[in-house]
Amino acid sequence: MIGDRRIRVSVNGTAYEVGVEPRTTLVDFLRADLGLTGTHVGCEHGVCGACTVLVDGLAVRSCLMLAVQADGSEITTVEGLEGPEGELHPIQEAFLEEHGLQCGFCTPGFLMATYEMLTDDPKPDEDEIMEVLGGQICRCTGYQGIRRAVDCAIDKLGGTRPADVFGAGGPEGPDAPDAPDADPVGADGAGEGSAR
Amino acid sequence: MTVEIPKRIDQLPNPEPRYIGKRVTRREDAALLTGRVEFIDDVALPRMLHAAILRSPFAHARIRSIDTSEAEAMPGVEAVVTGADALRWQRVSGSSPDGWGGRCPAVEKVTFVGEPVAAVAATSRYLAEDALERIEVDYEPLEPVVDPFAAMEEGSPLVMEANGTNVMMHRVFTWGEVDEAFDTAAHVFTERFRWNRVGANPMETFGTVCEWDPVTLEMTVRGAIQSASFMGLGRAATFGLPTNLVNVKANAHGGSFGGKGGGRGIDIAAMLSRKAGGRPVKWIEDRVEYLTSGGSQAWDRHYEAALAVDADGRMTGFRVTLVDDLGANGEGYGSISAAKPLTAFTGPYTIPAAGYDLALVATNKLPSGPYRGMGPPPHFMVLEQLVDIAARALGVDPAELRRRNFIPPEAFPYTIPSGNEYDSGSYEEVLDAALALAGYDDLLRWRDAARADGRLVGVGVATAVEPGVFDWNAYATVGLPQTGVPEGATVSFDIRGCATVRVGFAMEGQGQYTLVSQVVADYFALDIDSVRVIQLDTLAAPPSFGPGGSRLGVAITGAVLGACERLAEKMRTVVAGLMQTTPETIELRGGRFGIPGVPEAQMSLAQVAGTMLARSDLLPPGMDPLPEATYVWTAPDRTPADEMGRAKSYLTAAQAVHVVAVEIDPDTGQVEIVKYALADDCGTRLNPVVVEGQTDGGIAQGIGAALYEQYVYDDEGQPLTASFMDYLIPTIAEVPRSDKAAVVTPSPFTALGAKGCGEGAIHTTPAAVMCAINDALAPLGVRARETPATPERLWRLISGAGVGASGSTGEEREQS
Repeated sequence: MIGDRRIRVSVNGTAYEVGVEPRTTLVDFLRADLGLTGTHVGCEHGVCGACTVLVDGLAVRSCLMLAVQADGSEITTVEGLEGPEGELHPIQEAFLEEHGLQCGFCTPGFLMATYEMLTDDPKPDEDEIMEVLGGQICRCTGYQGIRRAVDCAIDKLGGTRPADVFGAGGPEGPDAPDAPDADPVGADGAGEGSAR
Repeated sequence: MTVEIPKRIDQLPNPEPRYIGKRVTRREDAALLTGRVEFIDDVALPRMLHAAILRSPFAHARIRSIDTSEAEAMPGVEAVVTGADALRWQRVSGSSPDGWGGRCPAVEKVTFVGEPVAAVAATSRYLAEDALERIEVDYEPLEPVVDPFAAMEEGSPLVMEANGTNVMMHRVFTWGEVDEAFDTAAHVFTERFRWNRVGANPMETFGTVCEWDPVTLEMTVRGAIQSASFMGLGRAATFGLPTNLVNVKANAHGGSFGGKGGGRGIDIAAMLSRKAGGRPVKWIEDRVEYLTSGGSQAWDRHYEAALAVDADGRMTGFRVTLVDDLGANGEGYGSISAAKPLTAFTGPYTIPAAGYDLALVATNKLPSGPYRGMGPPPHFMVLEQLVDIAARALGVDPAELRRRNFIPPEAFPYTIPSGNEYDSGSYEEVLDAALALAGYDDLLRWRDAARADGRLVGVGVATAVEPGVFDWNAYATVGLPQTGVPEGATVSFDIRGCATVRVGFAMEGQGQYTLVSQVVADYFALDIDSVRVIQLDTLAAPPSFGPGGSRLGVAITGAVLGACERLAEKMRTVVAGLMQTTPETIELRGGRFGIPGVPEAQMSLAQVAGTMLARSDLLPPGMDPLPEATYVWTAPDRTPADEMGRAKSYLTAAQAVHVVAVEIDPDTGQVEIVKYALADDCGTRLNPVVVEGQTDGGIAQGIGAALYEQYVYDDEGQPLTASFMDYLIPTIAEVPRSDKAAVVTPSPFTALGAKGCGEGAIHTTPAAVMCAINDALAPLGVRARETPATPERLWRLISGAGVGASGSTGEEREQS
């Protein structure tokens, strides 16, 4: 067996330094090694988007990325959205209020994709919304509740960056907690949080 | 004690219900939104192993030998199973029709690509998959049969030699004087249709964690299981175990739509566990496995159908000949999808006579299984195309022709020729609501103007009936037992007056835990947050079938209200004893028990429950002190099938009318849906938000079936749709917004008047979209008769206008 390789990542503000097999996908690492099972696996070939997480602020399909490729990165998963007292994030509240989920399996992916979109642009136009949501598959809702939820989330945020909802220090926020060393490995600079 | 279940909301012992019928946000959602709900792949048990399955690369081949020795010797590999283990431990699986089951992994030969041949349990999934590569299987390829018509010919390769034929069943049903109807009809319209294989594709595939103890033979099955009790009974039958040795703990799961599958995966994981000393074995199906060899595929149908119409435009007869390609065996109960149209054969119309020539045929493809709607969606696509063909030929507006043939409101309960009874309906009102919402007249003007400009635009109006409340009696025709389907609930109060409801089904997406909370909260006038719903394992839960066949909302409402009634009666008896009066003088109203009009003779729920729990010495002699009650609901007055399959089976009949406008790009054949409006009537809407969500989901799946989704096989039986790049699930870009209107005609037979509505729109959407497409194509003189109506199929029709290029050459025979 190929030996483990040590990686350092920050996930939802918690620093980890662990060994992983090079072939381990990022989603398997998050789910099996870190126990963060809120991110779901729907297709394992990058189409459905259920496994979407943020890596250095970018929405990625964690089934198509290896854990070793995330070395030095800051990762946000659905577990990182809620507030310190267990408050739902406004994006989560919006999905709840607008019946934006049924079985809930694809939902973490939709939440993270929406989070990234509203970080980039707090007032996305229809084309942007369709472009982003068009990259995620839901089999239950027919997307109508999800579409309403995105509008609702835009209203709730009112221009606030998703990361700043619970005050500075939220995931991907300007004061995201540091990894063990402030400028972790990434020779390419990918280790910097809030790159956007 | 007779339990009277309220049939209307105003019969609840609460003058101000706050939840039932209201737009209640779901109580399930906070946990789902934060990643807290435990799906099966989130389960990790001590010493758990991970399974991977080796699958057949051939559609039809004899297994000469299997060598697993190298795999077994690999570090981390704890167990390997093959067909030899299946022969030792399994009985031939149950199937429909009987005699078309098999064993898993395959014994002696494989009959479809993806059939399990061996499986490994190892300390990680990665290692288990590595080990599969070390298993050597020597196959002798056999000639496959992939086309059901070829399969019916003399001399065809046989999928199961022992049966001597590939025809699993061939039956001709005749209801009423159908020959006479056709002989005397002013017009007869005949057409062929092809509905290609589609399927459920929930975003979560199937998964399970099984423990089968080799000493006690107790089997514990966790999993993404739609019907836990049914799965448990099936496993007990397969392994010859007493049914109470199999305990199923269904996890919340990521959708099902009937197509979750699972029996084979459980059997493999269980055998691996037994070989590994009873250690838990997890098997999570991946998407490629799901698409090619899971519970994914349904409705592979070849239709020829005819509609008899009299001179006034009244439909007098409907005939359907169906060749249903079920794939390699009957284990997936795909056959019941072909039987279910008997529950609504003639749709919402007063067609007095009908015939059904049904052939179930085996081929070397994945065995087909259930999918949302379970068979009527293709059937209604066929019926509604014929109605449109008739309307066009007779020069009658398609909406008007439908109106002329609707079952009138005063005719309910109405027994259709194929035997089922519809409970209630207001079909014309639903039609009017849909047409008004769509702006039908304006749509037709828009169409005519665009058409005059040479554009391919069309408007479709389609209607269908959704049989609600699944019932086994409907499936006697394909050999299933004629029996009812129970759903139970236990409602209890604790010493503080908080309610807990124990049920036997897992969360699946339809908001049923919220519904249960709504019902209990309104019955006892509680805040919804003081009701908690708990799911129990099959060996502990009240009898439960769970979701399926548009049943659970109706069934669990009946069960919960029945339990509430029993509990209230019990508490009334207690209160009467304490107040030294008779139970009949005690009233439950607004959450308080007492003597009406006597303010000082009132007790709260907590006081009554507390007395029962803590002061049983004060209760009437012989009184059960538990403040809880259980009720098991089954549909009333169902009947077994007669020799023609006629049964009162599904309890409710919801109905809908969908209006769709499309434009087809003549250069590409691409269909754009430019307008979608509908009205539906599913009786009392217990939670309108959830009902609309079910409708939205059904529309999306219906659009998928009509335009995009198809499981494709090549001539050798190789599946060509093994990923989401090939099997196209609609995204938000393909699903239009829809306008919806609700008509409410309560069911006279159910709790609170609700009707089954979970499958809903998929009954109507494919028909409506195809009607619109064919309206657009009508000026060209061609017809789309095959689903999905892909750009290529439509482009061929358009570019070769008049030449049938969709695998069908049928045309109407008009006689006068």
